[in-house]
Amino acid sequence: MTEAIDAPEPVRLWTRASRTLAQLRPQRVGLRTRILLIFTMGFLVLSIFLAAITFSFAKSTLVNQRDRSNVEQAYRDAGVALNDLRSSPASAQPVIDTLSRLGIGFPLLNYHDDWTAGSARFGPEAVPALLKDRVLIDGVPARMIVTLDGEAVMIIGIPIPEVGAAYFEFSSLSEINSTLRSVALSLMFAGFITTLFGVVLGTVASRRVVKPLGDAAQAAKAIAGGRLDTRLETTDDHDLKLLADSFNDMASALQQRVERDARFASDVSHELRSPLMTLAASVEVMQARRDEMPERAQAALDLLVGDVIRFQGLVEDLLEISRFDAGAIRLHLEDLPVAEFVRQAIGVSSLPQTPLTVTERAERLVMHVDRRRLARVVANLIDNARLHGGGEPEAIVSEAENEGEPIGHVWIAVEDHGSGVPLDERHLIFERFARGAVAGRRSSSDGAGLGLALVDEHVRLHGGNVWVEDRLDGEPGARFVIELPAEEVRP
Amino acid sequence: MAGVGTRILTVEDDERIRTAVKLALEDEGWTVDEAGSGEEAIELFHRGSPDVVLFDIMLPGIDGFELCRHLRKTSDVPIVMVTARADTHDVVAGLEAGADDYLTKPFAPKELSARIRALLRRIRPMSPGHSKLVFGDLEIIPDEGKVTRGGTELHLTKTEFRLLVELAHSPGRVFSRESLLDKVWGYDYFGDGRLVDVHIRRLRTKVESDAANPRHVVTVRGLGYRLQS
Repeated sequence: MTEAIDAPEPVRLWTRASRTLAQLRPQRVGLRTRILLIFTMGFLVLSIFLAAITFSFAKSTLVNQRDRSNVEQAYRDAGVALNDLRSSPASAQPVIDTLSRLGIGFPLLNYHDDWTAGSARFGPEAVPALLKDRVLIDGVPARMIVTLDGEAVMIIGIPIPEVGAAYFEFSSLSEINSTLRSVALSLMFAGFITTLFGVVLGTVASRRVVKPLGDAAQAAKAIAGGRLDTRLETTDDHDLKLLADSFNDMASALQQRVERDARFASDVSHELRSPLMTLAASVEVMQARRDEMPERAQAALDLLVGDVIRFQGLVEDLLEISRFDAGAIRLHLEDLPVAEFVRQAIGVSSLPQTPLTVTERAERLVMHVDRRRLARVVANLIDNARLHGGGEPEAIVSEAENEGEPIGHVWIAVEDHGSGVPLDERHLIFERFARGAVAGRRSSSDGAGLGLALVDEHVRLHGGNVWVEDRLDGEPGARFVIELPAEEVRP
Repeated sequence: MAGVGTRILTVEDDERIRTAVKLALEDEGWTVDEAGSGEEAIELFHRGSPDVVLFDIMLPGIDGFELCRHLRKTSDVPIVMVTARADTHDVVAGLEAGADDYLTKPFAPKELSARIRALLRRIRPMSPGHSKLVFGDLEIIPDEGKVTRGGTELHLTKTEFRLLVELAHSPGRVFSRESLLDKVWGYDYFGDGRLVDVHIRRLRTKVESDAANPRHVVTVRGLGYRLQS
C-alpha cells in the first residue's frame, strides 16, 4: 500500500530548534527568556510529534476500514460478473449494465482482453501497469491507491479465470481525505493550544526559577545599602538552599568584618577619651596661668590648646562615624520650626554672627529631625565655610518647591566666598578624609576631613540630601545645600 | 568665682584624670574631694557632706548607677554624672537613678563649672504674699524648700524642687522643654530634652498619688508640661 501523505519529521524540526537556541547566546538572552524558549520549543515539538502519530494512526485506521469494505464489495461484484458472463458469455456490456443498475459507480471489466468500462473517466488507461500485470498476468487479486486528477482513488483488481475475465473496481477515497483533513485541522489546533500552554508554563516556570535570584539580588542590594543583617530565607529546596546558605554565610562574614572594623574605630576613640580628658583639664589649668608664662611657652601653649581642641573634635567625629558604621545611631526626632532652629544652630556654631535669610514661605516650615545632630550639620557647614570658604558665610533657608506648588522640602544653604568647588570634586568632597586634591588649595589647619562626611551621613539618616553647587548670585564661592523633608504649618 | 567653700566630691578611677580635673576645678574656685571608687566615695560623702557630687558611670566595684541610688536614699545633693556617650541608654538610666545632669567625656572643666553653678542656683524669690503655693492637696513653700501632699512632707531633690517651683510660678501655663531646660538647668536651645522628661517622671512618682495618671504635673502633647491643682 502506497502512502499518499508524508508525516513531517520531528527530528529535523528538533535540530533546527536547538540550533536556534544555540544562536541565542546567554549573554544576549536572559535566563527567563531562555527557559521560556525551551518550554515553548519543547511543547511545540511534543505537540507536532503527537499530532503526527495521531494523524497517521487515524489515517491507517480509516483506510483499512475502507479497504476491507471495498474489497468485500469488489468480490461481490466480481461474483455478479461471473454469473452474468456464465449465462450470457457473448458480451461484457450486460455485466457493466447490471452493475451500473446495482449502483456500482465505476466498474471495469477485462473480458478476453477487451476492456469494458462503466465510466469514460475510469477506463483501462487509469489502471497502472503494475496492477494490470499483477491481476491479468499473475492472476492474483490486488489493490492500489492512485491519484486521478488530484483525487485519491482505490483500484481493486480481481481475476475471474473461470470465464477468462478480470474485474476492476474504482472507488473514491475523497471522503476519507476530507475526514483526514478535518482531523489534521483539529490536531493543528490542539498543537497550537498545547504550545500556548507551553508558553504559559514556561513563563510561570521561568518566573519561579528567577525569583530566588531576584530575592538574592535584593538582599545583596540591602546589604550594600547598609542593612548588614539582611539574610535570605532558607528553603527546603536543595538547589536553592545551596545558594541561600552560601549567600547567608557571605553576609555573616561581611557583617562580622564591618562590625569589627566599626568596633575598632569606636574602641580606639573610646580609649582616646581618657587621655584627652586629662589633656583638656590640664590645658585649662595652664591657660589660666598663661600670663605668668614666658613668651615662647605661651606660643607653645597656644599650639597645644588649639590641637587639643582639634583632637577632641576628631575623636568625637570618629566616634560618630563609627556609630554610623555600626548602625547604632538612634535619632531623637521632634518637630522643629526650621527658621528658629537654624537661627539657634548658627548661634552655637563657630561663626555665630553669620547672617541668615529666610524666605517668606520657609518661615512657616516645620521639619521632623534630631535637634542636636542637625545642629552639628549646620555647625559643620559653617566650620567648612570658615576654614575653606574665606569666612563670612551667609545662611539661607528657603522652600525647595516652586511658587504655587505644595511644599515638601526645605533647603538650608550655606554660601561662602571661597574659590568654590570644581565640578569633578563635588561628589568627592563628602567622602571621609576627602581632602585629596581639594587640600592643595585649602588651608592646612583645617579639620579632620570628617566634617562634611558627617554632614552627608546625618542628612541621609534624616531622609534628606546634601550637595554643593555654585553660588546662586554668580559670584565666586560655594553653596552647600541640605535638603530635608518639611511641612508647611497653617498660621 | 563660685562660692568659696563649695565642696565637690569627684569620683573617678583614673588617677590622672582625677588629678587634672581637681586642678582645673580648684582653679574655678571649688574645694575638691577625690575618691577613686564608689566605696571610697560613699565613705567620703558621709564624712564630708559635699555640695555637689561628680562621678563617672564606669567605676570598678560599685558602679555609678548604684552609687547614685545609694546617695539618693539619704540625700538631695546635686549629682552630675560623666558618661562615655550621650546617645546611649546610660544617660536615661543614670538620670532615673537620681542624677541631676550629665556630661560626656572629654568635657571642659569650665563647662562642668557652669553646670554645677546652674544646679546650685537659688530659686527665684517669690513675690510677697505668695510664700505658699497650693495646688489641690499639694502645698509648696518655696522659701523653706518644703512640699507637702495631704499634709505629709515630700522629699524632693534640689533639682526636682526647682523644677516644681518653676512650674508653680505660672499655674496652668504650659512650659516647653526648652524653657524648662533654660530655667532649671541653664541650657540653651540644644539641651537634652531627656533631662526634663526623666525629671518630670521622677517628680510625678513623688507628688502624684498615681504617677501613671498624673493629676498635677500633666503633659501637653507636643507642647510641654503644666502644673494644675
